[in-house]
Amino acid sequence: MRRGPEVLSDYKTALRGRRLRCAAILSCALVSVAFWRLTQGEWSIPPSKVLALLSPFSGEAELSTPEAVVVRSVRLPRLLSALGAGGLLSVAGVVLQGLLFNPLAEPYTLGIAAGAAFGGALGFAAHVSWVTPWAFAGALVALWAVQVIAWRSGGGRAYLVLAGIVVNAFLSAGVTFLKAIADDRLGAIVLWLMGSFSGASPGASLGVWAAVLLSVPPAWFWGRQLDAVSLGEDRGSMLGVDERRLRVILLCLVSLGTAVTVGSFGIIGFVGLVVPHLLRPFIGPLHRPLLLFAFGTGGCLTALADGAAQNLGELPVGVVTALVGGPFFCRLLLRRGREN
Amino acid sequence: MTGLPLCFSELEAGYGGVSVLRKFRGTLRPGTLTALIGPNGSGKSTLLRTFAGLLPYKGSLTLGAGPEAREVSRIPRRELGRLVGMVPQQVRMTAPFTVYDAVALGRLPFQGTRAEDDRLILDAIARADLEHLLLRQVTRLSAGEAQRVLLATVLAQNPPVLLLDEPTSALDPGQTARVFALLRRLADSEKTVVAAVHDVNLAVAYADVFFALKRREDGISWISPAEAVEKLDGEVLERIYDTPFDSYVSGKGEKVWHVRIK
Repeated sequence: MRRGPEVLSDYKTALRGRRLRCAAILSCALVSVAFWRLTQGEWSIPPSKVLALLSPFSGEAELSTPEAVVVRSVRLPRLLSALGAGGLLSVAGVVLQGLLFNPLAEPYTLGIAAGAAFGGALGFAAHVSWVTPWAFAGALVALWAVQVIAWRSGGGRAYLVLAGIVVNAFLSAGVTFLKAIADDRLGAIVLWLMGSFSGASPGASLGVWAAVLLSVPPAWFWGRQLDAVSLGEDRGSMLGVDERRLRVILLCLVSLGTAVTVGSFGIIGFVGLVVPHLLRPFIGPLHRPLLLFAFGTGGCLTALADGAAQNLGELPVGVVTALVGGPFFCRLLLRRGREN
Repeated sequence: MTGLPLCFSELEAGYGGVSVLRKFRGTLRPGTLTALIGPNGSGKSTLLRTFAGLLPYKGSLTLGAGPEAREVSRIPRRELGRLVGMVPQQVRMTAPFTVYDAVALGRLPFQGTRAEDDRLILDAIARADLEHLLLRQVTRLSAGEAQRVLLATVLAQNPPVLLLDEPTSALDPGQTARVFALLRRLADSEKTVVAAVHDVNLAVAYADVFFALKRREDGISWISPAEAVEKLDGEVLERIYDTPFDSYVSGKGEKVWHVRIK
């Protein structure tokens, strides 16, 4: 029989090779999707012209053409928004599923997204122009309520998901109530909640990427601790992880990412739920690589869904992700059921 | 490195504000293997979890000797992860890590080089008799194998204090004996080893000190004074477990105890 160190080094080499292959596939997919999203649209602009317009060295005169505005202020922000938002939602899914060791955890199951939606709807009803801070406040309040309910009822992680479902139901009813009473803003709220990148402004895309910078590197930094926590109840504590502190930090980061996404583009479901499950068979359960791949894959799939939504006559992207993600997730579940 | 004693007095702990243990007192010394014995629900797990700093407590629980002694609740969690290791009773692991990755988490509280860590991890895996399962997913292991993964994680952690909650509950007799021999060797290398055990005969054969725990009628557990259970015999066992025990003598003249068979 071969010795442990040899087996281990072979395994590490194979693992590195597999990750490189996955990264290569993902990069190709990202480049293709980006190319598709930047060159296709209502205006037909030749790809060579698009590339020239994206160059940072384009001249002043060139940048004031209508084509330049379409590419640089409409298509590029829309692509970047979809990539960043999908990445944020997927990272949120990975973090929450690890932290709560619940395979169904994502921003929606924990009531975070419903909180953001309620906060944002409140902002709309109050006629504010920028609803993201309202969404973030809503997400934090929902998170706080979930923590308090879970802590008061025993403190276990199973209770967090239960409390999340309760808060989610309550706040969803709250959103419906707001829709009912905010007659004049009903259209705006409904449209916003359906989720779409069609109006993504350069500012919104910058906001999303600021949230990415604020939340993804810290999540990666605490990835090893997340590994320990995901092994089981109190396993993190036994291995020197301050579980309570880790939970507070990571849940706040996830809320920030979710709130920015929901606040800018509305509800985009299933991305955070499906992407981690899609990747685990290829990447494995270790959180550091999983977080990076989830970010890229989530972004890529969301940009793809956004493209599909646009080509189907500006459907809400949330409808596309739910219509594709729902059955897909069922398939994943069924396949897993067969394997066990 | 000299070992770390764990001393507790007036110790009170429980769950959600309800005390399960009260007025516990004792010392766990380096170089000794201490066995916690007692019926189900007598507070063994609660005591071990309190030792590991997983539960809030009242009273005093200190790690270290003399002026270096420190209250466990004041030690930062990461440092505690280097000083105290625990094998929990709950064996099931939900995330499909490989055995290697799961055991590698034992090195989490340390900042070692990858090569040095890998050496310690492989050594721990070999000592727990898991070399042939190095790359198997922990979710696909039998309960006994999963239990040895938890043991290997603590071996990789290599802390001066090891707490084990029924570490052999899912093991076959051969593995059980190997684990007890391993615990004995750990104790002999100046570790403070505490294990909750149900196999009284192995406890008698391997452990140096016994603490008997029993739940009183008011729901609060009682712990024997340190020297009270110097020798386990049928009478003591009957008092602890409320069941008559008989002694049997092996061909080599060694006496073992077993609950009375009708």
